Amino acid sequence: MSPDQKAPKKGFFQNFKEVMYGMASHDMSRYALRTRASMEHLFILITMGDMIGIPILPPYYSLRLLPYVVPQISTWKRRLLREKDVSDAMF
Amino acid sequence: MSLKTIFDQHPERRYIMFGGKGGLGKTTFSAATAYWLASQGKKVLVFSVDPQASLSDIFQRDIFGKGSVKIMENLWAQEIDADQHIKQYQNEIRQKILDMYGFDQVPEEVEQYIQAASAEPAMEESAIFDAVVDIVVEGNYDYYIYDLVPLGHALYYLSMAKVYDEWINKITKLREEMREYEEMVSRLKREKETEEDQILQELQYIRTRINASSRILTDREKTAFFFVVVPEEMILLDTQKAAGMFAKFDVPLSGYVVNRVVPRELLQQEIPSYLRNRIEMQDKYLKQIDEMFGAQVSAHVPELERDVTGLEMIEKLAGIMFGK
Repeated sequence: MSPDQKAPKKGFFQNFKEVMYGMASHDMSRYALRTRASMEHLFILITMGDMIGIPILPPYYSLRLLPYVVPQISTWKRRLLREKDVSDAMF
Repeated sequence: MSLKTIFDQHPERRYIMFGGKGGLGKTTFSAATAYWLASQGKKVLVFSVDPQASLSDIFQRDIFGKGSVKIMENLWAQEIDADQHIKQYQNEIRQKILDMYGFDQVPEEVEQYIQAASAEPAMEESAIFDAVVDIVVEGNYDYYIYDLVPLGHALYYLSMAKVYDEWINKITKLREEMREYEEMVSRLKREKETEEDQILQELQYIRTRINASSRILTDREKTAFFFVVVPEEMILLDTQKAAGMFAKFDVPLSGYVVNRVVPRELLQQEIPSYLRNRIEMQDKYLKQIDEMFGAQVSAHVPELERDVTGLEMIEKLAGIMFGK
């Protein structure tokens, strides 16, 4: 077998792997990511609750965590403060 | 047991605290004890977190917020400026945010949060105790004499430390669950490694800090806590109550020091009835103190002819407390 024949074969396996992933585990990992994101928001709520007016202990140490959640803050606020609508059921 | 015996028999007790209601002589005793230990050749730091600086007054030097200042051979004193500590801490947080995300300035809502958080009352207690942990963890001294702010503060912090601890346990658990999900996703996607969770590390760090600071107050081996009382009814009642509360939080009580005892010898002299009445009143409560605390009373300190400020008076007081 020449080396250039090897490449498509590998590509086939790669494709096959991706198709299998799409069929079998994509939904699972999407679900897991969603759960993970909900937990992230829960986490920010119990550490930074003060930010949306829910006083939660203890400010001195929650400041230490602040830098790590800066990127999530705006989505977190949007999610917690938004009203529920029809699209919630769809996605 | 006399103070001297307590210190001689328990050289391992390195965190010394005098507690009691305001104005009974906590700072005075802290300074005198520090002086005595230093004159015994021990390296001593006496420090205070009270914003109404009293160590500065007793040593007659302005040491507020200046770090540890050498008073004499072997003796250092420090007054922690809580506000300054909080400001510095805020700046560290801001800098960290800027560094992590390459911002030019901290986003507005985050900045607002930083400022709002610092306005909360619990902030000061936490900052103070955190600063204390810094000092004690360094371990540069043989003895740390902690001039406590009035009792409420310490109790408040101890109860806070318990709540903090549970709070941290809960969020650590949540964080670990989050991590499991993350790992599951990367397994499904056949990625190699998930990133270290820095937040988890921070949480663990916070827990060690909180535990360290409450341990300073509750370490049975290394902490000696003395209550300061004066022979007056209200003080005794309050002290009993406070002692009960401290016991609940496992603060190891080493003894009681009775302050402001009017010298009995005055009774031999011609003294006005005003003073005679005071002595009789004190006699009554001294008896009560004896019944209440018995052998736990480690020293009686007389009402001195003038207030204790300056090294000379401190030396004199140390002599009375510990014997020459």
